[in-house]
Amino acid sequence: MTAARRLDPVILLALPAVLYLAIVYGVPLLVLLGRSIMVGGVPSLAPFVGFLSDPFSWTVIGNTVRIAVMVTLVCLVIGYPTALALSRASGLAQALILVAIILPLSVGVVVKAFAWQIVLRRDGVVSQLMMGLGLWNEPQRLLFTEAGLVIGAANVFVPFMILPIYSVLKLVDPRLGEAAATLGASPLYRFFKVALPLSLPGIVTGIAFVFSMAASMYVIPNLLIGDRFQTLATLTGRSFLFMRNEQLGSTTAVVLLVLTVAVVVGSAALSKRLGGAS
Amino acid sequence: MDTLFEGQPTRRALLRAGAAASVLIASPAVLRAQTKELVVGGAAGHKPWVEQIVTPAFEKKYNCKVLFEGTRSLVNLEKMQKNKGSQYMSVVQMDDPVMILAVKEGLLEPLTVAKAPNLADLLPGSTHMEGMWANYLQPWLGVAYSKSAMKTPPSSWAEMFDPKYKGRIVIPSLQNTEGLPSLFVAGLLAGGTIESVQKDTDAGFKKLASLKPNLLTIYTQQPQAFNLLEQGEAWMIGPAMSSYALERKAAGAPIDLVAPKEGVFAMPSGIAVIKGAPQAELAFAYVNELLGAELQSKLAGPTFSLATNKAVPKPEGLGADVKIHQIDWANVAAQRNDWVKRWDREMAI
Repeated sequence: MTAARRLDPVILLALPAVLYLAIVYGVPLLVLLGRSIMVGGVPSLAPFVGFLSDPFSWTVIGNTVRIAVMVTLVCLVIGYPTALALSRASGLAQALILVAIILPLSVGVVVKAFAWQIVLRRDGVVSQLMMGLGLWNEPQRLLFTEAGLVIGAANVFVPFMILPIYSVLKLVDPRLGEAAATLGASPLYRFFKVALPLSLPGIVTGIAFVFSMAASMYVIPNLLIGDRFQTLATLTGRSFLFMRNEQLGSTTAVVLLVLTVAVVVGSAALSKRLGGAS
Repeated sequence: MDTLFEGQPTRRALLRAGAAASVLIASPAVLRAQTKELVVGGAAGHKPWVEQIVTPAFEKKYNCKVLFEGTRSLVNLEKMQKNKGSQYMSVVQMDDPVMILAVKEGLLEPLTVAKAPNLADLLPGSTHMEGMWANYLQPWLGVAYSKSAMKTPPSSWAEMFDPKYKGRIVIPSLQNTEGLPSLFVAGLLAGGTIESVQKDTDAGFKKLASLKPNLLTIYTQQPQAFNLLEQGEAWMIGPAMSSYALERKAAGAPIDLVAPKEGVFAMPSGIAVIKGAPQAELAFAYVNELLGAELQSKLAGPTFSLATNKAVPKPEGLGADVKIHQIDWANVAAQRNDWVKRWDREMAI
C-alpha cells in the first residue's frame, strides 16, 4: 500500500529512457565489468594488478588525466566569461552568441581536426601571429604536440562548459549583485562572494561534462597528436580493434570509467562543500 | 479519408503479391543452375579495376557472370567462417595477414599447377603456405617526398634519419600493414640482413629510436599523412605505398615516390580459392587469369603495383635492378602484438 501511494505516476514518464539506457548502456556495461575481472572463466583481479604494475600504464593514465585537466581548465577560463556575457546579453547579441556557440557543434570532429592541422602548422596562422608579435623568433611546431592537442580539444568541448554555466547564471537574479554593490562590495568581492558561488552548480556540471569527454576522446588525439601519445581511450580502442585483446581493452575501459566517475562525483561533492561554506 | 482507404491493399492483391514474392525468392537457385555465376569477395577499393578490367574479360572468355563483393579483408574472413560448409563465395582476394587466419581455420583450398597453370610462372616468394594462396599484384613501399621542399629526391632510407630533417618525417604506425617495414628498414640500416631483421627486431627498434627527433608524427590515417606531405608540413613519408602515393601524384599532388637503393618492400595482395566453393572449376580459372601475364600487365599500371608474373616487366619508376623485399607474414602474425607493445613505449613523445 505504502509503495503504491508513494509512486508518483509522473515518474513513469522516465520509463522509456530508463529502459533504453538499461538495454543499450547498462547491460553492455555489466558485460564489460564482468569481462574485466574474469580470467579464463574465473573471477580474478590479476588483469588490474598486471596493468597497474606496469610503469607504461601509469604514463598512459598520466597522459589521460593531464590532457583532460588541461582541456577542462582552458574551457573553464574561456567559457565562464562567455557564459556570463551570454546571461547578461539580450536580443540580437544573445542570439548571435548562442549561434556562435552552437553552430560549431554541427561541424564534425574530423573536419575540425583537419582545420586545426592547417591553423597549427609551421606556416599557419598561429605561428605567423606569434612571429608578428615578436614572441617567437622562428616558426614553432604546434602540430602533434600536447599544446596543440589541448587547443584543438578545447575548441570542440567549450560549448559543453558554456551552456551549463549559462543555464545557471540566467536564473540568478541580477539584482543580487546590485544589492551587494549598494552595501559597498567591490566588483571583485561581488564576483567571488556572490556570482561565483551562485554559479557553482553550473561550473561543476560543465567540468563533469568536459572532463569526462576529454578523458575519453578518441578521434581528436588520433588526428591531432597521432600514434605517439597513448591515452586510456586510444589504448582501449587499439586493444579491441587491432590487438584483439579483449582482456586488456576491458581493463583499460574500466580504469577510465572509474577515473571519470571519481572526478565527476568528487567535483559535485566539492561544490556542495564550497556552496555550504559560503 | 477516402484517399487513405484507396491506399489499402485488398486481400486479393496481398495474396497475389505474396505469390509473386515466393516465386522471386525461389528463382535465384533456378537461375544459378542455368547460368554459371561466380562470387568473388575482395576489398572495396578493388571494385573499380575488378569491374572495369577483370570481370568483362573473364565473363566473355568463360561465358559466366562474376559478382564482386567489395568489403574488407576481415569482413570477408567473417563471411567465410559463417558460411563454412555452405559457401556462396568461391574466390577471395585478401591481405596476406588475413589469409594466414583463413588457412588456420581451414577455409582455403590449395592452389596447384594442375588447376591453375600460371602458378608456375610466378616470381619466387609469391605463393604461401604450400600454395594456399598466391600474390597477384603487390603495391610497393618506398619513400614519398615533397617535391616543393626537397630539390633532390632521397636515394636511401638513411636520409630519413638525417638531422637536417628535424620534425619533417612521417612514418606509419606499426598497427598499419605498411608500417611494419619501418622496423625492418631500421634493422637493415643497423647492419642486418632482410632475414635477420625480421626475426630479431631489437637492432631495428634501437635504430628507430634515433629517428624520434625527426618525426613530425606517426600516422594511423594514411590520407592525413599525405595531406601533411602535400601541404609541405611533412617532407618525407616512409614507407609509403605506391598505390596511394602514385595515385596522388597522378592527381597532380606535388609529391613523388622513390625506390631507395636498399630496396623496396612488396605489400601483400593475395588471392585464394575457398574450400567447398561453388563452381570450383571456374574459381580456379579466375585465379589462374589473375596470375596470368595478360591480365597482370593490364592491371599493374592502373593499380601502381608490381606484377608477380615473371613475364610482366617492372613498372616505371622502379629500376630493373631494384631489390624487392618480401615480408614473412607468418613471422609478423606471431610477433606483431609484442612489437606494437614495445613500439608504444619506445616511440612515445
